[in-house]
Amino acid sequence: MTSGTPVEQQAPQRSWFKSQAKLAPYLFTAPFYILFFIFFLFPSIAAIVLSLYKWNGIGQPKWIGLRNFQRLFTDPYFWQAASNTVLYMLASLFIIIPLALVLAAVLNSSALKLRGFWRSAFFSPIVTSVVAITLVFTLLYSRDYGLINAFLVKVGLPRIDWLGDGRWAKVSIIILIAWRWTGYHTVYFLAGMQSISKEYYEAAMIDGANGIQQFFKITLPLLRPIILYIAVIVTAGALQIFEEPFILTGGGPANATMSVTQYLYVQGITNLKYGYGSAVGLVLFVTVFSISMIQLRAFGIFREN
Amino acid sequence: MRLVRKFFHHLPVYLIVIVGAILTLTPFVWMLFSSFKNSTEIYHYPPTLFPEVWRFDNYPRLFQDRPFGLWYRNSIVVGVIQTATVLFFSSLAGFGFAKYQFRGRSFMFATLLGSTMIPFALILIPLFIEISRMHMTDSYAGLILPFMAPAFGIFVMKQFMESIPDELLDAARIDGSSEFGIYWHIVLPLVRPGLATLGLMTFLASWNNFQWPLVVLRSEKMLTLPVGLMALTENVPGKSRDFGVIMAAATLVAIPIILMFLAVQRQFVSGMLMGSIKE
Repeated sequence: MTSGTPVEQQAPQRSWFKSQAKLAPYLFTAPFYILFFIFFLFPSIAAIVLSLYKWNGIGQPKWIGLRNFQRLFTDPYFWQAASNTVLYMLASLFIIIPLALVLAAVLNSSALKLRGFWRSAFFSPIVTSVVAITLVFTLLYSRDYGLINAFLVKVGLPRIDWLGDGRWAKVSIIILIAWRWTGYHTVYFLAGMQSISKEYYEAAMIDGANGIQQFFKITLPLLRPIILYIAVIVTAGALQIFEEPFILTGGGPANATMSVTQYLYVQGITNLKYGYGSAVGLVLFVTVFSISMIQLRAFGIFREN
Repeated sequence: MRLVRKFFHHLPVYLIVIVGAILTLTPFVWMLFSSFKNSTEIYHYPPTLFPEVWRFDNYPRLFQDRPFGLWYRNSIVVGVIQTATVLFFSSLAGFGFAKYQFRGRSFMFATLLGSTMIPFALILIPLFIEISRMHMTDSYAGLILPFMAPAFGIFVMKQFMESIPDELLDAARIDGSSEFGIYWHIVLPLVRPGLATLGLMTFLASWNNFQWPLVVLRSEKMLTLPVGLMALTENVPGKSRDFGVIMAAATLVAIPIILMFLAVQRQFVSGMLMGSIKE
C-alpha cells in the first residue's frame, strides 16, 4: 500500500474491499450455521425419522411406523423412569428453590461477615466434577461403613440402606441433586436480592417489620420474576437428569432411580436400539418443551416483556 | 444489652450459613482424607475422618496401575482446544449478530436461542451415529467438533459486543481496515473480559463433561478424566477396585479446578447471570 501504487490496481482492490464488507456478516456467522446444520438440525430431524424405524446400526433400518411409541407407552420400565423423573422435578422445585431462597436471604443479610467466603463455599459443588463428587457420596451413603449412617446411629436412629432400598435410593438421589444445585440457584437469587433497593427495607424497619416479615413482604414479591424464571430452568434441567442416578445407583435397585435420559442411554447406546431410543428422546423433548411453554405462559414471562 | 441483642439478631444467620457450609464442604473434606486411607480403613466402622495410618501410595498407584497421566493430558488438551475454538467461533458469530444488519439475521438469532430449549438427549443417538459414520468416535475431534459454536457462547459474546460504539468501527473502516481486521484488532481486545468469562465457563464445562465423552470414547488411552474416574469403579479382572485410589483420583480431578474457580469466581458468576437474561 505504498503511495506509488498504480491507479489501475486500486480499482479491483476497492471492489474487493466493498464485497468483503458486504459478505462479512455472512462469513462471520457461517461457521455457526454450518455446525448448527450438521450437528444440531440434522440430528434433530434424524431423531424424528429414526423414531419410526427399527434399527440397530447394522443392515437396513426397518420401517415400523408408530410402533416404537406404542411399545414405549406400554413399557412399564419407561413409566417407572418417567415417574422417577417427575419426582426429581418436583423435589427440585419444592426443595431446592426454597432452600436456595433461604440461603440467599441469609447471604444477603447485613448481619453476615465474610460474605464472599460463604458464597464461595456454597458455590463449590457446581464447579466440581459430578463423577468425582458422586463417587464420594457412594462412600458417605454406604450402609455398613458410611458417614451418614454412623451419624444416625450416634444420635440413636436406625441405619438406613440408602442405596439398596428403592425408596431410600430415590431420597439419596434427591439429596445429591440438592447438594449440587442449591448453591448455584442461590447465586441467581442473591443477585436478584442485591438489586432490590435498600429503601424498601429501611421503610419497613421504621414501621417495625422484622427480618422474616421483610423477607415475605418485600423480598419474595419483588423477586417473583427471577423465582419463576429459575423455576422454568430447574424444571427443564430436572426432566433431563442423567448423571446423578447413572453414577450413584446405576438406575437401581430394580430401576427404582432410573431417569428418562438414562433409559434413553441404556436403550439407544448400550442396547443399540436406535429407533426406540430416539422415540424416548422425542417424547422427552415434547414433554420438556410443552411444560416450559405452559410455565412461561402461566408465569406471564412473555407478557412482561 | 445492645451486644446481647446483636448476638440474637445474628445467631440465626450464622447458624444457617455454618450448618449449610458444613453440609456442603463435608464431602470434599471426606474425599481428601479418604484418599490417604487404605481399603481396610475405608471399609471400617465407625468411620473416622483422619486416617489412622497415612497412606500416600494411592496417588502413585493411580499413575502406575492406570493411565491416569494420559487421562489428565486428554482432559487438558480437549479443554484447551474446545475453549479456543468456542471463543473464536462464538466471538466471530456474536460480532456478526451484534454489529451487522443482514438477511435472515433475526430469524437465525431466534433459532439460536430456541435451540437452547431442546434437550440434548433428543439428538444424542443420531449425533452418535453421525459421529460414528464420520469415523470420529474415540477421537478428540468427535468430542470437540459438534460443540465448537454453542448458542450460549454466541449469545454472551453478542451481549458484550453490543455496547461497542459503531463510530469506532466506522473510523477503522475509513482507515482501510477490513471487516475481519476490525473484529481482530478492535473488537476482540475490547471484549477481553467477556472472552475471559466465556473461556472459563467453557473450560470448566469441558473438564467436567461426562455424558458425551461416555458415548464417544472407547479405548482406555483416550478417556478424559470424568470417564476415566468412572472406569476406575468398574470391576476389571486383575485390577482391584480400591476406593482409596478412587478418592485420590477424585481429589486430583476436583481440587485443582475448585481452587482455580474460587480465584476467578467473579467472572464466572457474572457470565452465569448474563446467560440467564435471555428474556
